Amino acid sequence: METLYLIFIDPFVQMVVEPAFLVEVLIGGLTSGVMYSLVALGFVLIFKASGIFNFAQGIFVLFAALNFVGLMDLGVHPILAFIITIGIMTALAFAVDRLVLRPLVNQDPIILFMATIGIAFFLEGFGETLWGGDVRPVRVGIPDAALFWQLGFGEILVQSADLFAGVIAAFLVTVLALFFHFTPVGRALRAVADDHQAALSVGIPLNNIWVIVWAVAGFVALAAGIMWGAKLGVQFALSTIALKALPVLILGGFTSIPGAIIGGLIVGAGEKLFENYWGVPLLEGATEDWFAYIVAMIFLFFRPQGLFGEKIIERV
Amino acid sequence: MSRSGDILLSVKDISLRFGGVRALTDVSFDIHEGEIFAIIGPNGAGKSSMLNCINGFYHPQEGTITFKGEQRRQMRPHEAAAQGISRTFQNIALFKGMTTLENVMTGRMLKMQASFVEQALYIGRGRREEIAHREKVEEVIDFLEIQSIRKTPVGRLPYGLQKRVELARALAAEPELLLLDEPMAGMNVEEKEDMCRFVLSTNHELGTTIALIEHDMGVVMDLSDRVVVLDYGRKLAEGTPDEVRGNQDVIDAYLGVSHD
Amino acid sequence: MAGALPDVAQYDTFPKLLRYNAEHRVSLAAVREKDLGIWQTWTWADFREAVRKLAAGMKALGLKRGEKIAIVGDNRPRLYFAMSAAQSLGAIPVPVYQDAVADEMRFVLDHAEVAFIVAEDQEQVDKVLSQKEHLAALRTIIYDDPRGMRDYGEPFLHAYDDVVGMGDERGWDEEVDLGKGSDTAIILYTSGTTGTPKGVVLSYDNLLLCAKIGADFEHLREDEVVLAYLPMAWVGDNVLSYCQAHLVGFSFACPESPETVPHDLRELGPTYFFAPPRVFENLLTQVTIRMEDAAPLKRRLFRFFMNVADRAGADILEGRKVGIADRLLYRLGEVLVYGPLKNVLGLSRLRVGYTAGEAIGPEIFRFFRSLGINLKQLYGQTEASVFVTIQANDGVRADSVGPPAPGVELQITDEGEVLYRSPGVFQEYYKNSEATAETKTADGWVHTGDAGVIDGDGHLRIIDRAKDVGKLRDGTLFAPKYLENKLKFYPNIREAVTFGHERDFVTAMINIDMEAVGNWAEKRNIPYSSYQELAARPEVLDIVEGHISELNESLSADPQFAGSQIHRFIVLHKMLDADDGELTRTQKVRRRFIAERYAPAIEALYGGEGNIVLETPVTFEDGRSGTITGDLVIRDAHVVEPGGERAAA
Repeated sequence: METLYLIFIDPFVQMVVEPAFLVEVLIGGLTSGVMYSLVALGFVLIFKASGIFNFAQGIFVLFAALNFVGLMDLGVHPILAFIITIGIMTALAFAVDRLVLRPLVNQDPIILFMATIGIAFFLEGFGETLWGGDVRPVRVGIPDAALFWQLGFGEILVQSADLFAGVIAAFLVTVLALFFHFTPVGRALRAVADDHQAALSVGIPLNNIWVIVWAVAGFVALAAGIMWGAKLGVQFALSTIALKALPVLILGGFTSIPGAIIGGLIVGAGEKLFENYWGVPLLEGATEDWFAYIVAMIFLFFRPQGLFGEKIIERV
Repeated sequence: MSRSGDILLSVKDISLRFGGVRALTDVSFDIHEGEIFAIIGPNGAGKSSMLNCINGFYHPQEGTITFKGEQRRQMRPHEAAAQGISRTFQNIALFKGMTTLENVMTGRMLKMQASFVEQALYIGRGRREEIAHREKVEEVIDFLEIQSIRKTPVGRLPYGLQKRVELARALAAEPELLLLDEPMAGMNVEEKEDMCRFVLSTNHELGTTIALIEHDMGVVMDLSDRVVVLDYGRKLAEGTPDEVRGNQDVIDAYLGVSHD
Repeated sequence: MAGALPDVAQYDTFPKLLRYNAEHRVSLAAVREKDLGIWQTWTWADFREAVRKLAAGMKALGLKRGEKIAIVGDNRPRLYFAMSAAQSLGAIPVPVYQDAVADEMRFVLDHAEVAFIVAEDQEQVDKVLSQKEHLAALRTIIYDDPRGMRDYGEPFLHAYDDVVGMGDERGWDEEVDLGKGSDTAIILYTSGTTGTPKGVVLSYDNLLLCAKIGADFEHLREDEVVLAYLPMAWVGDNVLSYCQAHLVGFSFACPESPETVPHDLRELGPTYFFAPPRVFENLLTQVTIRMEDAAPLKRRLFRFFMNVADRAGADILEGRKVGIADRLLYRLGEVLVYGPLKNVLGLSRLRVGYTAGEAIGPEIFRFFRSLGINLKQLYGQTEASVFVTIQANDGVRADSVGPPAPGVELQITDEGEVLYRSPGVFQEYYKNSEATAETKTADGWVHTGDAGVIDGDGHLRIIDRAKDVGKLRDGTLFAPKYLENKLKFYPNIREAVTFGHERDFVTAMINIDMEAVGNWAEKRNIPYSSYQELAARPEVLDIVEGHISELNESLSADPQFAGSQIHRFIVLHKMLDADDGELTRTQKVRRRFIAERYAPAIEALYGGEGNIVLETPVTFEDGRSGTITGDLVIRDAHVVEPGGERAAA
């Protein structure tokens, strides 16, 4: 009886009694959610354009962040470091295209998937060799202060860095959506994702498009890496966090950009709400690590194509 | 009406093999500027393979293809497209998730001059170009009378209209040579009539040279200026529809031994 | 900011109004057209320039005052320019239905003795050329769209673009000044229900006075948005788009193509709109289908708010009292359901919407009214320059077409036929004085051919074609179609045929609706294996009897129809079928044929028998024919006596 009360009644009573806390939890959840979205977006981009599930996307995030922080530690100005890192990620995209994708063109998706696992391990090792394995803080001038907001029903505490990250991520997501829908290159990317042969016949060079897609994915990874890094420091654990993109993808659908975004927000907000209202009182916390995967499991049972995905998708 | 323009495309002694299977053997013919040229033949005669050689999907092991006086053997599809060869497919290859307008816009891809950055950021030349291309695309949409489906995702359109959208996408590239792989396949009588009308007016009004594969002999005889007949990957006959109709080899190939 | 309308006594022709508009409403839009995906606009000044140039060319090609010029094609600005250019030269435009086949077109072109034809495109030119040898008066053809026309060498064929540069524009004003209100403005051919088309000759006075009546009545303004999408050969398009635009100064828009009308409607959002009932039926069907496919939540939301709208919408629209709860719910519904829905349909800005031409189903009419769309009925004819009756904004009803429009007089003959007299009454049928004399009396009354009644509020109700209306023996009006339509409003009744002409009372034969009644029967575990079996079930007869008695009750409240209550009925043992010759291919009842074939049943209905054994020929689906025999029970319905007492007949 007591347990039932704690599951079904008490959390909601709490939410109503202390709306300020609820808002704080939600803001915290959504800001980390939007960063899950960014990581997931990288997966979706590549999956849509080339049908490859890029296991290395998580490492891309780490690798981009490592480069960025490493350059800054060498005294490079943040903006310059950013630009150089974009260059590195683009070069990486070229390399992946030339060394991995082209030789393996027309192979089974599973082969390509294995290849991306290879890329992941290589990059992880290469990154460590290059920049070492320490946790490095990111100082890019993102203001980090606790803000107190007075709302109608009480005062709430917001981390300015969280807000900043959220705004940047939302901005990026919007820009990418616009890019995909309203520019010729975006249209070409969607065309390639839709039908390779037809794309070739209208004169879209597939290889160039793949390079663009991988470069864009690299750029997204860099943005995600900086955001996460600013929050937690750049460390190898980042690649595990990046794996949270998986449940996000299952939720949102592998082929849907809006799906990646909304999936990320749902997972972010959901895990924070669950942790604070159910996890801590009933399970002694630390539910954030597995909550998203449980939700993803449930989704796999009832709606395997995700919220926005196309009906049938080859899964890995 | 007879048109005897210069030779636009010359196919010479083309042979194509897939492993041990010979798809085409020593095929030669010329396509003249401004004509409607039909490639006919029984199933498996190598018609689609021929088209795929012309637009660079396949690379024949022997022979040459000369387009606009320029000889080539290995060419990629997007290079063929850049030189002015557009095509449609037997089994419609449209971007199903995109609207009619977006599909036709992709036909303009090669005409875009703006740099990648300008295009991507939709600024400067990229923006001006997009507007100019849109105008051209609207003319094609008007030409093929598909205004009412401009914003409809093509996956939702009926088959006949999809074929028309595919033609629109090919025309948007302002090709010099248009390859149509069975443009009337699977259509009802009314849709066929429409498609015939569009093929003819493409040829007459836009002056586009057309090479088409078609099974409906009535359509071929009505539409085309010249015909080449393939059988088992070899050229059986070439000439005007009347000449071909009277050719004994052709009659045998069509009425004689079945190929199945 | 309704500016005063120009004085129609001074500006008594459309070219004069065009000149007025080009001077006083210079920068106002006159015509729009969606071309290459973009709405192009011509101001009134542009309009005049286009007309001046074209008229000069037409004059140079030899078009003379009083000659007829046919206009064939979809609604296109250039075809309206051609109409105006012809009128400015004193020539008479004859718009022709663009979907007519060549043979049909020939009749009109030949009968009207057209000297010029302005055709939209190759398709129309081909039709005309195929009939050229029959058209003695035809001298010149002008085409708008040059596509496919390159190889046409005929010397009398001219491209619109070429004609425009041909003549001298000077002298146009003088030509316009020569026109006067009593001149013939246009000849519109009506197909009529039978016989050959008749050319209705309308003067500028006819059209202008009528256009003004409508404009005043609806307080039309310069900023109205109108979509000209109905055929140019139809009087409604001419008056509601071309004429009223000239008078009021608003702009009319031409759709991109006939297929894009729904899109164009949505983009444009007309404020003033006419559509025949089938257009509204189609819109409603679309909405219904979309809702069937919608997510359950959306569907329930839709149902809930449509119920609210059904309760309160029409009352709110007409300014009647509505409870506070419903008023609030309706507001919410406007945000969540009605607003988005109207937007999708392109009707969110509509101020005045008309439907006419045939009866609109009351539930369809109610649906649109309840959304807050000011849809009204009118009754009109080509011979009247459209308006005979219009419903006022606060006097809209589903079952009437409204009171006479200002300036229109109405009367009903003893036979029940509606006559009217108005400033819009046509001059004559072109070259058909016999038909003119039959239709129009010496003192200007026009026979509509429709039977109607005027109810207590002065509203006209059209009940049938006049020739189908009969009389009971006691002289009571008997309008079979009116009764049958009322019966068919019951979903359980598929088809009904009523009898009563020169009889003592009215009787009916009924076909039940297999689907509706079948569902009902299944729910109640009533077994049946065929239509015949189901139709003979006493429970089913009870239902039908209930419907008829209910109808009788409502008829009894109406003095005009109290006498035509249905006394006896049978439910037929087979469906009336076009294959058996009982219905036309368009599913209309062939009354006379049925009266003959079912003569024994009719005699039994009037003879007082309790049942009748009928043997009827039938054509099966595989083409074989045979007979169906049934023993049919004849039932009496409850009839309400005029005194108010209920009694069995």
